Amino acid sequence: MAAHSRVFLPFRFAILKTPQILGVHTRFIPPQAENCSRISYNHGDRGTSNGEEWTPPLYREHQPTSLFQKALLTVGSAAVAITNPHRHDMIAVLGETTGYYALIRIRDQMKADPVGQQILSERPRINTRTIDLEELRALPEGTFGKEYVNWLDRNDVTPDSRAPVKFVDDEELAYVIRRYREIHDLFHTLLGMPTNMLGECTVKMFEAVHTGLPMCAMGAVFGPIRLSSKQRWKLRNYYFPWAVKAGYSAKCLMNVYLERRFHEPLEELKADLNIPSPPHIPKSTDNNNTRLNRR
Amino acid sequence: MNDAMSLGVHRLWKDRFMQVLDPLPGTRLLDVAGGTGDIAFRFINWIKEKELQQKKASPGAEFRLNPLETDDSESAPDLEFPSAEDYLYSEQREDTTGTDDRKDSKVIICDINQSMLEVGKERAKKLGLEDDVVWVTGNAEELPFPDNSVDAYTIAFGIRNVTHIEKVLCEAYRVLTPGGRFLCLEFSQVSNPLLSSVYDLYSFQVIPVLGELIASDWKSYQYLVESIRKFPNQEEFAEMIREAGFRMVSYENLTSGVAAIHSGFKI
Repeated sequence: MAAHSRVFLPFRFAILKTPQILGVHTRFIPPQAENCSRISYNHGDRGTSNGEEWTPPLYREHQPTSLFQKALLTVGSAAVAITNPHRHDMIAVLGETTGYYALIRIRDQMKADPVGQQILSERPRINTRTIDLEELRALPEGTFGKEYVNWLDRNDVTPDSRAPVKFVDDEELAYVIRRYREIHDLFHTLLGMPTNMLGECTVKMFEAVHTGLPMCAMGAVFGPIRLSSKQRWKLRNYYFPWAVKAGYSAKCLMNVYLERRFHEPLEELKADLNIPSPPHIPKSTDNNNTRLNRR
Repeated sequence: MNDAMSLGVHRLWKDRFMQVLDPLPGTRLLDVAGGTGDIAFRFINWIKEKELQQKKASPGAEFRLNPLETDDSESAPDLEFPSAEDYLYSEQREDTTGTDDRKDSKVIICDINQSMLEVGKERAKKLGLEDDVVWVTGNAEELPFPDNSVDAYTIAFGIRNVTHIEKVLCEAYRVLTPGGRFLCLEFSQVSNPLLSSVYDLYSFQVIPVLGELIASDWKSYQYLVESIRKFPNQEEFAEMIREAGFRMVSYENLTSGVAAIHSGFKI
């Protein structure tokens, strides 16, 4: 081995150093048994027993991952998300793997605000069990709740279809990103944006500025690849500047109990939260965009 | 998904598997847990190739162009799909008079999972092989076939998932004719420590991630790589096959032990 040590040195280094990078899943040692039919599958709590090290899950659906796995997930989920935007779970995974520092910042912002602290301690959820959609449908037109259910019906979505959080290695931060995911639809309603690609890019730009999550920035930057040039023109000249302005001016929405304000008129709520209305794109410039305004 | 995880190498493994089996025309094959048909389709193509070679070698001999089709033209058309027993013991099969005394080659796919069989049927239709295969739903631990009814029993990447491996081996022994061959392709242990480290890293770091990205299912692929580690190694599995009654048990490592082909004869 000594004669070949120069050849194997980088490889040995890689093998020795990788446990730190790779975290929990280093070496699996199968149980010794003479009669293999006596082996029972030891699922434990999660079925992830793996050699000597085992990080227990911190919350239901938690999947402990090493740094290497997070990096792979980041690259892979970004690639899948851009090629197949219908894979919302990939966008969720991307948010979880890249959002650690942003989530810490959001969590600290929430802790510094009394309503934010309340949300962090009460951990409210937004789904069809906690929100009575029928009650919202009964609200008068123009209220936040009525606009929300109209938006849900128009875009054929439900608040129940959010992917569970899996790859955040802190229980409180997992709640923070879950909260963000659940009020994302409410952002759509407040901003008046539909769930098509154009609307999603706009909301992502708003969220990128407002929350600082890298996934939102990536979505805002790379999402428009899938749009037509006319839609990109609209984004560049109208929607993105407005979304950026709204993102900065809006009060921190993570610190607002949005689900308790459904009865308020939408315009008053937006004024209270400093969210400007979406820009109106004049018809005449709309037709001229390919010739006059393309630089 | 298999292509992504094994970088396409699983196809080479299955090709080698068929090479090892090297069936002659007239073999009755039972492919267990082979719902998607990979092994069965290779078997059919292998037999057809063999028949062509025999035809070229002895052009004067009489032969039937498509020996895998049952010769239904004389008898009444059978509208009911034949059961496995009927197929195995059909009159046409036992009628070996005349110059052609070869048996018909047959392949039966048995799988516990009906949806896998459906996927296999679709693939067979696309390849034009739908008439050459019999599809049976059944449990590998309790096969719905009579004793001594098949010449070859194959199970590819299925025996790892059964509850009682010994029962499956005993059933395999039961349904094989004397002289029949048991052939199993399964993941196994890599003995080389260098390659083993790389393989472990790849299995535990990359495969669950691929499962999450492609199939949105981390846990199943985590379970997959753990079940591979829990499965007995090559020698232990060979011993289990011997205990079931098979003789001349041997194994061949593929890709340095990532997969292994175990073979035994009912002699």
